[in-house]
Amino acid sequence: MTSLASGYGDTGERRRTEDAPLEITALIDEETVQSIVQEAWSALIGEDEFLVPLPGGLPDDAVSSWVEVLGPWTGAVVLTCGRTTAEELSRCLLAEHAPPVLDAEDVADGLGELANVVGGNVKAVLPGPSVLGLPEVGSAPAAGPDVLRVDLLWRGRSLTITLQGSAGALTGHQNDPHKNEVPL
Amino acid sequence: MGAGRRRPQLRLPPAEGKLNVRALVIDDSRVMRRIVAGILEDLGYEVQQAGHGREGLDVLEGGYEPDLVCVDWNMPVMDGLQFVSAVRSNPAWRQVTLMMVTSESEHGQIVRALAAGAHEYVIKPFTADAIRDKLALLGLLPQEVSL
Repeated sequence: MTSLASGYGDTGERRRTEDAPLEITALIDEETVQSIVQEAWSALIGEDEFLVPLPGGLPDDAVSSWVEVLGPWTGAVVLTCGRTTAEELSRCLLAEHAPPVLDAEDVADGLGELANVVGGNVKAVLPGPSVLGLPEVGSAPAAGPDVLRVDLLWRGRSLTITLQGSAGALTGHQNDPHKNEVPL
Repeated sequence: MGAGRRRPQLRLPPAEGKLNVRALVIDDSRVMRRIVAGILEDLGYEVQQAGHGREGLDVLEGGYEPDLVCVDWNMPVMDGLQFVSAVRSNPAWRQVTLMMVTSESEHGQIVRALAAGAHEYVIKPFTADAIRDKLALLGLLPQEVSL
């Protein structure tokens, strides 16, 4: 790459370099993400619930929940696990407040809330100001090259957290980064 | 509680004499509403729930008079910050204590919520003890007193 300090006039290279999208791996590391997820698990799933940083295969029926982060870094924080794991997580989340039978909405809601909590705390580590989207559940949005993936095992079952950047592919609020704000 | 003993009554410092302590929990997540409501009910609160800020205002406009409102930030229709501002702009609701319970954990967001009129701020993930501690700080922890 040509030196930015070469001083041969404004070729636009400096501007283009500075405007380049932030890459997630330059902003946060796996250890920090794992720490955030572990804190969420300890508080919401159970004090003695530990996550082991080991890769495992996700089942065919894997489901994802995610929240978008819109700001200097724009992308999604995605939690993916098998459906059985999602059900177990939702039951643990509700603990003694769980209804006798968990319906699909409870499971989706629980998984979405976990992504929301992890996403909110990831956002706090990233450069701001940023806006957090509402949680969504389903098939995860396609990941581009800007990805940080953390593989974890919970109770021997696989789950992954991915922070995946979007080069303008996210829809919705780019023109309204303060959509949740009201004047003070 | 043994037979023959008088049943303890609940009393709140800011609302002495009230037997029923009321809360409104506003969150678009049904799971999170159940969790927060469950914690409050375990502490002795009577709880109503709403799925977003507008629904929360409807509950208040319907005449429900909570001592405490726990409100999430990011919600559809009306978010928590808009709800807090709306409640604070109505003098009829000035006695309501507002506590934001949210995954928005940046310092600037906390300052904005408090500036808008929230009394306390709980960051998700939280524990039941964290909620209890905040209520104690607010003087809203129901206390068993013998009559």
